[in-house]
Amino acid sequence: MYRIVTKLELVSHINLFKFSAKEIAAKTKPGQFVILKVDERGERIPLTVAGVDVEKGTITVVCHEVGKTTKQLGSLNEGECIQDLLGPLGKRAEIRKFGTVLCVGGGVTVAPLHFQAKAFHEAGNMVIGVIGARTENQLILEDKMRKVCNELYVATDDGTRGYKGLDFLKDLFKERKIDRVVAAGPIVMMKTVSELTRPCGVPTIVNLIPTMVDGMGMCGACRVSVGGKTMFACVDGPDFDGHQVDFEELMARLKMYAPQEKLAFVFYEKGGRSL
Amino acid sequence: METGKEELRIGVFVCHCGFNIGGVINVRAVVEYAKTLPNVVCAEEDLYMCSSAGLSLIKECIKKYNLNRVVVASCTPATHEPLFRKACEEAGLNKYLFEMANIREHSSWVHMHQPKEATEKAKDLIRMAVAKARYLEPLIEPLLEIKTSSLVIGGGIAGMTAAMSLARQGFDVHLVEKEAELGGMLRHLYKLQPTGRDASEILREAVTALKAHSNIHLHTSTVVQEVEGFFGNFDVTLQKKGSSELEQINVGTIIVATGAEDFKPAGMYGYNENENVMTQLELEQLLKKDALRKPKKVVMIQCVGAREKTGRTYCSRICCMVALNNALLLKKLYPDVEISIIFRDLQTYGEYEDFYREARESFINFIRYDSDKPPKVTSKPDGKLAVTVYDAYLGADIEIDSDLAVLSTPLVQHEDGRKLSSILKVPLGSDGFFFEAHPKLRPVDFSSEGIYVCGTAHGPKDVTESIAQALAAASKAAIPMAVGKIKADAVKASVDKDICVNCDACEVSCIFNAIEALPFGLPNVIEANCKGCGVCAAECPMGAMQLRHFKDQQIVAAIEALLKPKKLAGLGGSFEPIILCFACQWCSYAAADLAGVLRIQYPSNVRILRVPCSGRVDVLHVLKAFLNGADGVIVTGCLIGDCHYIDGNLKAKSRVDAMKKSLTALGVDPERLEIGFASSSEGQKFADMMKDFVEKIRRLGPNRLRVKEGGD
Repeated sequence: MYRIVTKLELVSHINLFKFSAKEIAAKTKPGQFVILKVDERGERIPLTVAGVDVEKGTITVVCHEVGKTTKQLGSLNEGECIQDLLGPLGKRAEIRKFGTVLCVGGGVTVAPLHFQAKAFHEAGNMVIGVIGARTENQLILEDKMRKVCNELYVATDDGTRGYKGLDFLKDLFKERKIDRVVAAGPIVMMKTVSELTRPCGVPTIVNLIPTMVDGMGMCGACRVSVGGKTMFACVDGPDFDGHQVDFEELMARLKMYAPQEKLAFVFYEKGGRSL
Repeated sequence: METGKEELRIGVFVCHCGFNIGGVINVRAVVEYAKTLPNVVCAEEDLYMCSSAGLSLIKECIKKYNLNRVVVASCTPATHEPLFRKACEEAGLNKYLFEMANIREHSSWVHMHQPKEATEKAKDLIRMAVAKARYLEPLIEPLLEIKTSSLVIGGGIAGMTAAMSLARQGFDVHLVEKEAELGGMLRHLYKLQPTGRDASEILREAVTALKAHSNIHLHTSTVVQEVEGFFGNFDVTLQKKGSSELEQINVGTIIVATGAEDFKPAGMYGYNENENVMTQLELEQLLKKDALRKPKKVVMIQCVGAREKTGRTYCSRICCMVALNNALLLKKLYPDVEISIIFRDLQTYGEYEDFYREARESFINFIRYDSDKPPKVTSKPDGKLAVTVYDAYLGADIEIDSDLAVLSTPLVQHEDGRKLSSILKVPLGSDGFFFEAHPKLRPVDFSSEGIYVCGTAHGPKDVTESIAQALAAASKAAIPMAVGKIKADAVKASVDKDICVNCDACEVSCIFNAIEALPFGLPNVIEANCKGCGVCAAECPMGAMQLRHFKDQQIVAAIEALLKPKKLAGLGGSFEPIILCFACQWCSYAAADLAGVLRIQYPSNVRILRVPCSGRVDVLHVLKAFLNGADGVIVTGCLIGDCHYIDGNLKAKSRVDAMKKSLTALGVDPERLEIGFASSSEGQKFADMMKDFVEKIRRLGPNRLRVKEGGD
């Protein structure tokens, strides 16, 4: 059992949790993820770690309520426990001095991105941050990002805050010499960023967390095609070369269980039943 | 949204429809009941609510009681909804604040001998309509500019006529013909009935006029490769045959005039085996080229490959006339030729009867055959033919020697027509021909707006009829282009961006590319492409995507209004199942209407809730129904393959299948949920489906959640 030591609602339906998990905290580095299970019959869901406190023995994850399990997690309070927490899983992000690193995050993934941006900053990089969301009131951790970025740009899909969409990045890539791009967030965003950097050849790393089961390379549920090869996001990733990823396939695979996900959510939310 | 601070003031208007409703349902009791419903400030009745007096009553009440919602309980919305909506508009009420309860087709006509039950059902339907009305929102229909140019596909007589008509009305027309030459089937015909004019003469005149007109852009040896966009603004990709050359054009309307081909009866009556066995069209071409060796005896066989028990079940309409025409031509050329026409039924309608008379007078033999005993054609060693036929009048086989056997074969759809059907996403009927929106009311329209059909693409017809239909299609296409603007439907998808979780399910589910995902995951609805099926709303896990006028809140309100009072009332003495039926507005709802029109009686336990498409039915709606005590839920849609929204019914089916597995978690028997399909012409099937389902639920007994406490 893993106790929630801190719960903070960042914006509506997006919660930050700190779990007491000493061993995991000691080993987790930016880019890695954990798999948690809320209760005995719960679904296993992967979440990228958004920070660790080795001294206090806690790890931070930020979770958007997007379905039954995340909703259930969101209903828990400080002091309550979840059944299982497994990690750290996946490879560590490659953090060293590259020069100028552009970190792009959207929605809830701004949180784990912050963990990486901070590390890039500490490694002596010039860090340009881009954070975005569908709409203004879904933006998270802007202040925290500002602290670890030399520059920070804000964008929203509907233009209610900052730039509208990501088209402004085109100019940024023209004007600035960027050595590495790290993108984490909605698939469409990672695809858009990868397409933008392809012509100028800037190495672009995308962080992929597809549907997972065991998270240790056994089941193959998380397979992604990268450069024509089948990779397992859980053990070969989650970071991959954005110019090589088959995003279309990834999107299709992510939709595979959409009907079941909806059923589970509606039954839980409106029917008060776990399927 | 129960629109904000504004106090709800609902008016309910119940129609007697003469005796149609009033003769079965106790309208007075229903009106008194309506008055007791929350927010209802007036309830009135009238002998005919659709009469000018009835409409005036509605308008007066809107003003007098300051109504902001109107519910009319009368017939099916399919016919009179526009009329009542207009009355609301005239009284200053947004027309989307109107809701209808169908107490005629869905109650008084189908429960004619159960006045008590029909009355109770009318009350339920009104309660549901009032509940939905509470959540209705005013909607604005956007005005869209439309391109005043047209694409006519097919350069036969129908296509040329339609193109010429539009060009003369001042519209730009792109005429696309897959062959190098214009003319289509007309190029192969000889003398046209009933005038006897040369087909080539008519063709020459038409082509000359067409080529001379500056509004006509001719694309020969060209096919339509792709069509995107929507009514008023279609983007069409044309491909030059035999090259990879593509051309893009942009048009407001499309006319399908792709014609048909004659059926080649391979393997029938020695066709392809003996050169003296040929089709009527092949004979006509020989006559046209003056290449026919003089025959002494000719046998013509009718209905070859037509009016079959399965497959080509239809009558090709023109073959009787074609046979008579060719027989008379032969007689004129060679007066001593002996001609026998072996037929099943001669169908020489209208003035074509004169041909039959003339043929009789010219000593052409007519022998009737039965489809169970078709004639046999055998080749003799000298190449001549022997035709054996069972003559029903003689009661014996007779054998006729013949130099020629001419087979009257039907017109059939061709491969290019089938391809075009999927490119345009317009349906083909069971006969393979293009299928109009309504055989009587919209004979040259497709159900997709802005696309029309004419000529033999739509079914066998002669040149005269093709021309008439082409002119009709051109007129229909000209109306919106003359106005220059179209009012788009306001029933479109819209997203609540605060609830949306960027999951992309809506974008993936939309078959019309009406939703694009923006970089951070916000779906953007392209309203011009949205057809209002609501599939995206049912796929959205969060309820963020909604279909206006059919929002979850509005649908759930109706469901709860139906079921909650019944759950509260308990089971009472004997068990009467409560069945909720979701019906798609295009097919199954219309089938239920037809059951009413035909007075097909079925159990009164069924309450029908109209949805735009069975694909709109959300697992939430089904869950709410069961939690509130429905004993059975049946989702009904168009026949598989006939969905107005291409595959909404398939999505409904997979959803129902998935849902069945989950129902056990509620303690609900999966058998209580069913999906059924019926076309708008299957009133009997709809009634049977309801009967069977009610019987099944009766056997299963009451829904446990209706009896025991708990649930919602």
